[in-house]
Amino acid sequence: MPRYELCVILKAMQRPETAAVLRRTVETLFERGAVVRSLENLGERRLPYKISKHDSRHTHGGYFSIDFHASPKIVSELLDHLERDIDVLRPTVLKKDIELSKTQCCGTQSEKAKSATSR
Amino acid sequence: MFALSCSRLLLQALPKQPVTPRATAQCIRSLRTSQQETLKKDDMPIKMENPFKSPPKTCILCNVTVDFKNVQLLSQFISPHTGRIYGRHITGLCGRKQKEVSKAIKKARSMGFMSVTLKDPQFIKDPDICGIKHSE
Repeated sequence: MPRYELCVILKAMQRPETAAVLRRTVETLFERGAVVRSLENLGERRLPYKISKHDSRHTHGGYFSIDFHASPKIVSELLDHLERDIDVLRPTVLKKDIELSKTQCCGTQSEKAKSATSR
Repeated sequence: MFALSCSRLLLQALPKQPVTPRATAQCIRSLRTSQQETLKKDDMPIKMENPFKSPPKTCILCNVTVDFKNVQLLSQFISPHTGRIYGRHITGLCGRKQKEVSKAIKKARSMGFMSVTLKDPQFIKDPDICGIKHSE
């Protein structure tokens, strides 16, 4: 099963409410047959720009990242479900690719680039 | 020229003891050849790796994973005034890393991690990688 990462920004709420939203999200993932790998809290921060969602303008939000394995069919349904959730400001599902082998990072390539720019 | 060098070699080759004038032409010839042989053996360059080889040129982000969540790192490659991404000629990154950084910045902006039109104030005092001088 391919590996996905769900980066979600939740409304700035109290701890029990945030926990409830996260619980809801993870339960929907389980319902659709996803295997949740990890759930990380990236902190509650000030948003880089004001986000207008669900009839209100938000300035602060809690950032969370959920790593999971799932079938590709559920991704669109999941996004749809999260968009409808009032407490979720911005859901994003990304594909998490296996890191490419470090094939000679820079070195000769940078030399070529520098010679090209110097000309 | 060759004759001169030959004579010099002969002078060096001559032992400290006085050579008897009885030294025949054969003797001198043998001295010369043996000396040349020893010189050849000593003078040949020793095979070794180039000691003056410069280390392989790398860009700043060589062996550094670029992540859209790492907003501080990405903010070092954008203008503090407009939030625009700097070009390759300013950042000095290699092609691959420049593309990765650019993609990550755009991803972060759309996902709500990074601002579009400005640089986060807490990251303004970060060390200057790009070395661009803004006209003040």
